[in-house]
Amino acid sequence: MSEMEKELGGGAIDPSFWRGLTQPRLSRRQALGAAGGGLLGAMMLGAESGAASLPNKGIGTATWWKKQKLHKTLNFANWPLYIDTLKGKHPSLVHLQQTTGIKTNYYEVIQDNSSFYQKIRPSLAAGQYIGYDIIVMTNNNPQLHYLMELGWLIPLNQAAMPNFHKYAGPLIKDPAWDKGNKYTMAWQSGWTAVGYNSKKIPNPGKSIDILFSKKYAGRVGMLSDAFELGHAGLLAIGVEPISSTEKDWAKAAKKLQLQKSDGIVAGYYDQSYIQHLKNGDTWVSQCYSGDIFQADLSTKYADLTLLIPEEGAMLWTDNMCIPLYAQNPKDAMTAMDYFYSPLTQSVVEYYNDYICPVPAAAQQLLHPTGWNAAALKSLRPEIGLPYSVTAKSQTVFPTPARIKASKAYYQFKSQTEIDTWNSLFLPIIQGA
Amino acid sequence: MSLPAGLWLLLLFVIPLFMMLSMSLKTCSPASGACTMTWSWGELPHVVNQYRAQFVTSLEFAAIATLIDLVISYPIAYWIAFYGGRKKNFFLIMLLVPFFVSFVIRTLVWQFILSDNGFFISFLQNHHLVSQNFHVLGTGFAVIAGLAYNYLPFTALPLYVALERIDRRVLDAAYDLYANRRNAFLRVIVPLSIPGVFAAFLLTFIPAFGDYVNQEILGGTANTMIGTVIQDLFLATSDYAGGASLSIVLLAISLVGIWFYARVLGSRSIEEYL
Repeated sequence: MSEMEKELGGGAIDPSFWRGLTQPRLSRRQALGAAGGGLLGAMMLGAESGAASLPNKGIGTATWWKKQKLHKTLNFANWPLYIDTLKGKHPSLVHLQQTTGIKTNYYEVIQDNSSFYQKIRPSLAAGQYIGYDIIVMTNNNPQLHYLMELGWLIPLNQAAMPNFHKYAGPLIKDPAWDKGNKYTMAWQSGWTAVGYNSKKIPNPGKSIDILFSKKYAGRVGMLSDAFELGHAGLLAIGVEPISSTEKDWAKAAKKLQLQKSDGIVAGYYDQSYIQHLKNGDTWVSQCYSGDIFQADLSTKYADLTLLIPEEGAMLWTDNMCIPLYAQNPKDAMTAMDYFYSPLTQSVVEYYNDYICPVPAAAQQLLHPTGWNAAALKSLRPEIGLPYSVTAKSQTVFPTPARIKASKAYYQFKSQTEIDTWNSLFLPIIQGA
Repeated sequence: MSLPAGLWLLLLFVIPLFMMLSMSLKTCSPASGACTMTWSWGELPHVVNQYRAQFVTSLEFAAIATLIDLVISYPIAYWIAFYGGRKKNFFLIMLLVPFFVSFVIRTLVWQFILSDNGFFISFLQNHHLVSQNFHVLGTGFAVIAGLAYNYLPFTALPLYVALERIDRRVLDAAYDLYANRRNAFLRVIVPLSIPGVFAAFLLTFIPAFGDYVNQEILGGTANTMIGTVIQDLFLATSDYAGGASLSIVLLAISLVGIWFYARVLGSRSIEEYL
């Protein structure tokens, strides 16, 4: 292990990074004093000395980018069912190859942030290519922040993202989690909200309380992600998540514990929650907005409905980024900006139905002006909906009211906070 | 001990075991994954205490599932061994064919079968055999049923081997000594098959005890097994020390079982079945 990695070993999390800008940084001496105390000390020590010697030092600068060449190959790791698909091919990626010669190997390998991170981490720590040039990580989990903090991402070539600078929407441009889009460009965003079966529940009301209602005891699905679960608890007790305190977390955990001991929760699910909602095991569930929209497309599941509670819905963003040691960074950069063309995005979005990062794509759906016309037409029988449904969908191109109802996730300021959070909410999920 | 066997044991058992043990004493960074040895012996009692309930659930579920498997498998194995005749192999293959399909896929299919809109529950509800609120998925019953189903061959095969190798002449001797069929079965066949029963018990109970797939797919909120917790600690929270500590406890419990078996029945009979 190199000296630098040893220093990073304690988990280099720069506290200022977590938007905890108000917290004073520890001096090296203070940190050394605390180091005996264990993890936190080691963490601060890493942060203090790490910044100067991160492994991506000198990488991603303008001169570095100038030296990169197109290899006409791209290895892209993304979440399942997240890109336009027609008979096993992806029209947007086919068009990318036709225009730039870049052949994309598209892998749907990311099921959740944490386990994917565990898979790529050993390679990154060993200074090796992880096999992907683009990966997509969510801002509501610590892993994206770990990647930035440990210097495991290549800073983007700001000169090579004209589409992004021109078309990126306000929700995802210069976001709180990556100021100036130094490392990331959004792939899609979405809400974690409430999905319900309107046949079983004709009058759901407007509140997130529906997840806590004894009327639906044994029929409520919750997410097994501790961050998602905790935030549902915070919304339910009427606390603004971004400015919540540990006391609020404890209160939220109590509320969720009660929800469980009262027999209201049927289960804590990963992505499989949608299957349980479809199977009728649950009638109402914490959900991701796009899943409900996609389920609605099938007449069999047209009863599934999305509810954005009046308390608000958590807004998350999945971000494309280029992992360190990527072999085809210029191809990655080219593809990432290509996805910010309203033409490309109209095709992706027609299939996808999450929150579109490019508002101008709505016009392209209604009046396609280029290659997207043919691509949309070929997708039409598969999707079976007029383009205008996507273009006018509030879950794809949100209205100002919807944007206002969107809540930001709490930004952790240290590993200790993450540990506290986990110690409160994990026992609920792992109950015996 | 011969050298290849010793090497095998060292590579696949002793070294991993010590790595796991040393992992449980380290402090790891969830971010970089780097671990430093901090000799934190406190982790072990801490996690055992914290997850005691999940250990108890796992013990209960695995024990019940194993008993169910023994009750189901014994007559099957007995029948094939004694009355299978020339078609013995055919019957054994029939027993195993469903298990050629991947473990996870078989369990997922059970999820569909047992789901509330699935044909089984719908059928019962439509014929008013159960109440509208009846459901199986998410209950401890579903998990135990899944465990029992998935580990059935691990019970049936050792039992079959034990029963098959019983010397038929001892049965003849029993009849010559005026034993009736019932007595011959209870006082000759059953005692002679006991090592097979123990082997079947261990081979079923140990994997079922650490299983997390069945609970994850068929279970609900109140029946988390220790395997699920270990998986969560390693993959969701990056708590390698905690996960390693729990794994060690799990292994220790299993080793106690094997030690007990060896004490009672001798280690030779383990070799014969494993």
